[in-house]
Amino acid sequence: MHLHPIETVKDLYNYLYIAIQLEHATIPPYLTALYSIHPGTNLDAYNLIRVVAVEEMLHLTLAANMLNAVGGTPDLTGEGFVPLYPTYLPDGETDFKVGLEKFSIAAIDTFLNIERPAEIDNSKGRATGLLKVNRKNTSILPSFKTSDGEELHFHSIGEFYSAIAKGLEKLTKELGEKTVFCGDYNKQVTPEYYYSGGGDIIPVHDLESALAAIRLISEQGEGYEGGIYDYEGELSHYYRFQQIKLGKYYHKDDTPGKPSGEDLSIDWNAVYPIQSNPRLEDYPKDSELYKEALVFNEFYKTFLKQLTTAFNGQPSVLLPAVGGMFKIKEMSYKLMRNPIPDKEHVNGAPTFQVDSI
Amino acid sequence: MRHLKRVVTHQTVLEKEYDVVVVGSGISGSIIASELSQKGYKILILEAGPGKDLTLAGYEKYLNHFYTATSKDNNAPYKRNPNAPMPRSVDVKKKEPGKPNTDSYLVQNGPFISDFTYSRVVGGTTMHFESKLPRMLPEDFNILSTYGHGLDWPIQYKDLMPYYRKAEFEMGVSGDVSTQTFSKQKAYADDYVFPMQEMPPSYLDKCVAKDVDGAEVKLAGETYALKIRTFPQGRNGIPNKNYKKFNNGELFTPVGAVSEHQVEEGERCQGNNNCTPICPVQAKYDGRKTLAKALGTGNVDILPQTVASRVVIDPNTGKVDQIIYKSYQELDSEEHTTGTIKAKLFVLAANAVENARLMLASGLNSSSDQMGRNLMDHPYILTWALLPEIAGTTRGTICTSGISDLRNGDFRSKQAAFAVDIHNDGWGWATGGAETNLLNIVDNQNKFGKDLRNELVHQISKQLLLANMVEMMPDPKNRITVDPKYVDRLGNPRPIVTMEIPEYTMEGISFARQLSKSIFQRLGAEDHSKYDPMDYGYLEYKGEGYAIRGGNHLAGTHIMGTNADNSVVDRNQKSWDHKNLYLVGAGSMPTIGTSNTTLTLAALCFMSVDEMVKDLEA
Repeated sequence: MHLHPIETVKDLYNYLYIAIQLEHATIPPYLTALYSIHPGTNLDAYNLIRVVAVEEMLHLTLAANMLNAVGGTPDLTGEGFVPLYPTYLPDGETDFKVGLEKFSIAAIDTFLNIERPAEIDNSKGRATGLLKVNRKNTSILPSFKTSDGEELHFHSIGEFYSAIAKGLEKLTKELGEKTVFCGDYNKQVTPEYYYSGGGDIIPVHDLESALAAIRLISEQGEGYEGGIYDYEGELSHYYRFQQIKLGKYYHKDDTPGKPSGEDLSIDWNAVYPIQSNPRLEDYPKDSELYKEALVFNEFYKTFLKQLTTAFNGQPSVLLPAVGGMFKIKEMSYKLMRNPIPDKEHVNGAPTFQVDSI
Repeated sequence: MRHLKRVVTHQTVLEKEYDVVVVGSGISGSIIASELSQKGYKILILEAGPGKDLTLAGYEKYLNHFYTATSKDNNAPYKRNPNAPMPRSVDVKKKEPGKPNTDSYLVQNGPFISDFTYSRVVGGTTMHFESKLPRMLPEDFNILSTYGHGLDWPIQYKDLMPYYRKAEFEMGVSGDVSTQTFSKQKAYADDYVFPMQEMPPSYLDKCVAKDVDGAEVKLAGETYALKIRTFPQGRNGIPNKNYKKFNNGELFTPVGAVSEHQVEEGERCQGNNNCTPICPVQAKYDGRKTLAKALGTGNVDILPQTVASRVVIDPNTGKVDQIIYKSYQELDSEEHTTGTIKAKLFVLAANAVENARLMLASGLNSSSDQMGRNLMDHPYILTWALLPEIAGTTRGTICTSGISDLRNGDFRSKQAAFAVDIHNDGWGWATGGAETNLLNIVDNQNKFGKDLRNELVHQISKQLLLANMVEMMPDPKNRITVDPKYVDRLGNPRPIVTMEIPEYTMEGISFARQLSKSIFQRLGAEDHSKYDPMDYGYLEYKGEGYAIRGGNHLAGTHIMGTNADNSVVDRNQKSWDHKNLYLVGAGSMPTIGTSNTTLTLAALCFMSVDEMVKDLEA
């Protein structure tokens, strides 16, 4: 199986659609672990996961800005946009998956895999954007099928974006910047409409701004050139999560793997015992849990519709949509606080099954 | 970022030499420590409260304490601390005739009993303040010569203007300068904007504005058109592009949560309704944000759980020789060590009441005998009503807009000016919150389940509370004193409050009450305001009763003036009597107009820093 580097604008649309899908796919697992934490406990871990989830929303929005900039149409409502968790990862030999799990060591290991830095290797043909399927069993990028049924494989999220960057550069050279960046600027989400804790939203209208958006996404996830911080001096996601695993905060000038800051206080037991990778069928059909899980999925579907509207010329819709995320939290707690009937010590959780509605 | 390393013990302090000792880690002390430490001076801050508040987890403990507290008063997030007690509104009782109230920290002599509070924790009273940050008006500085009331300041508004800008930068003000047009004089440079765009008005604000904007009020021969406007606030919003020219070409960067590690929280207000007393995400400014910056210089140490107990004067020079302090180990034990600390310069930044209390406890009444006198606050008269339609009450931060048109005018020769807040949290302040409604719906309407929920939402979403903040002028009879009879657990004298609401203020209160009535009429709202004669703050004036609340804008106990006979400090907040002593904060303000005091006291502190540097260089 191999993948063509980006040759046409259509290829570019494909990549950017996958980028939006990929950024979104990380959010349900992060939110599930986040809200499984008993409120008021595990404050250190809670805040670390929260910030990463917020930044994935930023990445999602940046990917939508890029797709709009090149004249594409972001759509978060299509069938299969939200994966059915657990999602199998590319490596066929292991059962490694990204799933909906409670806050646990295993979940943090998964998160570390999601955000794992690319191995810096400039020696092999990656400069062309052609990515060899040369993965270790730790490679974490979910495989996606293109519209032609092809499978894409990347070593890391960073490399996936670097392929997009190469494609943008190539097309700009061939077709001219104005032809490539032909999107309606009014569809761009600008800082008036979107605020993220770390990093600003970048309106994309030319190659330079597109590359800046890519750089922000890659470095927020993985760090800058092998360091633990990105170019804005912000700790990357991978190292944020690693702090939870190592039980210590990083400080400036620390080397990877050796945080020197204060201890985190972590209580792995102060967590709701939720069902892993729950599906609607795990809840008895006449139970309140089932009803509430449906209500959640409907709300989440509406949320994705609102985002789609916002990314298609009505950026002001983002304000109430993001406000709706408070409701996602409340609805999650509602499910997670309640046991599944007939199961011992297993609580409910959102299933994120929006396609079945 | 590693500010916890600057939290020291008194053993460490004994081995070090400091240029400046600052008493209190609130906004005043933090600004002074931050500014002086950036110039390389070594500073020690003595803080009476515990010092565990500089981490996110420490702050969140406050939050949880607040959430679980039955009473949601301003000091509810903070544990009771008998070693450094603080006033709490829940402790206030109606005064019995002929004797003072003595059973809580403040000894109240009356005749007016106030429920004012302040917070003795790291960050000081900004740890519960509402964060409204209006400037005073140019007219406020000459109120005596213009209107024959209060006192003139030894400085003018224009002297303070550059420092107001510094304060607005430091605290991160969100607001719209173009709404701040109550002065007849030019109060802002033409192109000036606040660091961040205004906080959006709440839906409730808009509902009120619909019928109130343009309403005319006649007062002392002048006509005022009312307009609902947003307040400038110390809350993080969207940075204003036009502020770049006041910030070296850079967009303003909102300062989020105080933490030792990156948390990326609090860089934008989320509109939480319980932001007073405590913002859940730290999007509201508090003094710890400035303190963290000060500690970050490496030149500032903070010694928590240490109460300044006595200021000792060298009889030969008249200068402060040392401060005697009491350092305790636990909140629930009176065990403590007594120590002394010396420095070149001493700064008392413990708020208007505690500054005066410490000086008086040290026998330092000042040669003007003004120490502790001229105690001021903003008395509030609350009025509340039920709107005819759902207005979304309880959405948004505690207060976003109000009426400021009657903050200034020729009527000030006869009666106090006032400002009106529209409270987004409903009737809580007046009636004790949703609980009152809940009990009523359960007991009197027999509702339960979904009906109960709906009825509760229905009632609360129509609530409108106007908080009228009324000007109070300095009067030497209103004062803080001490008496060895009344001491706290560490043996430090407690403040004794003697306060009377002047007639000038009562005229303003009475007018504000009438104005509320006509506003409610315009809105078609049902007036529910009731003032119980059994209320501790109940007063009668011209046949009408009013229950008055404290504003916690305590000021005036060590006023600045033109000479040692009429004031305690000079225009730079330096003691006339003791040349190496500064008393800073709202205590230095001769009048407070209708501005919440924090922005002005911050500006005064920035101004004093220039003088302190001169002293330290000499």
